[in-house]
Amino acid sequence: MEFFYFHLMPWPHLPADFETREASAWVTLSNTHYDPERGHHLYNEYLDELEQAEKLGFDGVAVNEHHQTAYGTMPSPNLMAAALIRRTQRVRIAILGNAIPLREHPLRVAEEVAMLDVLSGGRIISGFVRGIGCEYLSLGVNPAHSRERFYEAHELILRAWTEPGPFCFEGKYYRVRYANPWPRPLQKPHPPIWLPSQGSTETIRWGASRRYPFVCVFNSYQQTRKWIEEYKAAAIRCGYEAPPDQIGFAIPVYVGETDAQAEEEARPHILWLFRRGLKIPPQYLLPPGYISEESLRKFLSAGVRNPADLSYSQLIEKGYVLVGSAATVAQRLEEIERDLGAGIFLLSGRTGDMPRKKAWASMERFARLVIPRFRQKTGTEANPQLPHRSDCT
Amino acid sequence: MPYRSEVRRVRDSEVHLLRSGRGAPLLILHPEFAAGRWFAYHDDLAAHFQVVAPDHPGFGRSNRPDWLDTVQDLAFFYLDFLDDLDLERVAVVGISFGGWVAAELATLAPHRVTRLVLAGAAGLRVPGADRFDLFARPFEETLKSFFHDPDRWVALLPAEAGPEVLVNTYRESSTLARLSWNPYWYDPKLPERLHRASCPALVLWGANDRFLAVAHGEAYARLLPHARLVVIPDCGHLPLLEKRSETLPLLLSFLRD
Repeated sequence: MEFFYFHLMPWPHLPADFETREASAWVTLSNTHYDPERGHHLYNEYLDELEQAEKLGFDGVAVNEHHQTAYGTMPSPNLMAAALIRRTQRVRIAILGNAIPLREHPLRVAEEVAMLDVLSGGRIISGFVRGIGCEYLSLGVNPAHSRERFYEAHELILRAWTEPGPFCFEGKYYRVRYANPWPRPLQKPHPPIWLPSQGSTETIRWGASRRYPFVCVFNSYQQTRKWIEEYKAAAIRCGYEAPPDQIGFAIPVYVGETDAQAEEEARPHILWLFRRGLKIPPQYLLPPGYISEESLRKFLSAGVRNPADLSYSQLIEKGYVLVGSAATVAQRLEEIERDLGAGIFLLSGRTGDMPRKKAWASMERFARLVIPRFRQKTGTEANPQLPHRSDCT
Repeated sequence: MPYRSEVRRVRDSEVHLLRSGRGAPLLILHPEFAAGRWFAYHDDLAAHFQVVAPDHPGFGRSNRPDWLDTVQDLAFFYLDFLDDLDLERVAVVGISFGGWVAAELATLAPHRVTRLVLAGAAGLRVPGADRFDLFARPFEETLKSFFHDPDRWVALLPAEAGPEVLVNTYRESSTLARLSWNPYWYDPKLPERLHRASCPALVLWGANDRFLAVAHGEAYARLLPHARLVVIPDCGHLPLLEKRSETLPLLLSFLRD
């Protein structure tokens, strides 16, 4: 199992009456609640934390893209990846991911990710996502074009990374007569492409057909398992068995001294995440055209519930979060690893409004007491396969 | 009045339509909901005209062809549709979203449109005038915003419940988003083209329209060369539904003139 420390960079300072007054932490929550002075300290604290993850032995760190929300203050994950590259030496940096349909031009993404790959000596993992429904309201992009734009942008980026330029690309949404981006990426044939997903049928099938690692993000264990089974079945239909390094999942984790202490300490911050950060009305979450009729049918029949309606103990029971002592967390992860055949685990550590101290203590316990159990089993060290290019200079 | 339901193939699309009545053809273009529903005003008009009421592509039982991306595309579609039915010249009644389609059709092919009724028609942007953002609001709130009388919206709820009804509602609003998400509910080129719609036009608006303020009706009346604006008091976004007895004589005298 490879371990990534994943950050949302949330904005914790919500007004006290948020839950009763505001419809959502997205779209309509006024940006007057953002304070750049506090933001300055917070960004640096969050980056320190990701740098610390490398020192503690994580295989990678992960950043992501969200727009106009207190849930995560990282509209450009590529900027954060750039900041991390110069302050880390070893870890892989997973951008999970660039929301390519939301960007004006995919060649800008191809260029930026290639820059990061070259700068980092080939440490970049390039996730591609569609962006969540809210962001189609926030940026004015038509959600009914989302999937078509995603496929087309992906095609253009992939060609830009692999095909000698210049070439002509004439799609429905993007047209360029001289596609010829400099630099080209360092990793060959291109940086690994991962697909963080909420489980839409199209993404699962498409990802499996291209052997792109599928990373199920912030679902209950039952849903995660279902979507991963669907991905594996799709891989079988494509004529292969999905290996562990193609299967990943991301959930919030808190490791305490004991189970009881962990549950007590994590409670307010987990609830912040689900009751505040993820307070999203349905019309923001699934704007028209954002998902297909087929996926909507699947979600309706799977009885996907809004986790904001669940109690804290239900969130733990259903596996939306992993909270406990190091022994409990390690045991559960071992079970999950076996059960899902997963080889990629993204730990979201600084959940909601969790203070720095708690997050660091939990991260430290995870690194010291949980990760080694997996290393001993396989006899691997962190990232032995990496080129360590910057060390060689 | 009895009406019949029919499915026709128009190039690459299957189109469902309702028909009733005899006489001069009258094309009714439905609003952003209620495709395939036959209201009392359909009956009223079918007593005097040959009413043709299609489901827009991607609504009701009509499928959406892949090339359909804009309301102007939809106007081109309706030219094919009229050809298919051998209707050379028609009067058109367009309601809300359907009114936008009607306005595009009348600018695209003025020689095919004898009379144009725009009831609470979308399609124009009037800076500063209120518009309801139906994509950002819950479905029920949207229905409520259509009426001045707070008890009327319930009649627009789907007759049945269940996952397939949700899926169909989502499918229809997905078509609507595809056509009108951005720019939201208007065509920036339309003001420069409306002068081409040379037929007589009746612009009907509810004085208390909370969905699209009456200023949009005023803009239509100003930009169309032969238009008259009638504002109905104590009425919301859907005069034909909310004020049937007041609007019918206006419609009949205009359409029969």
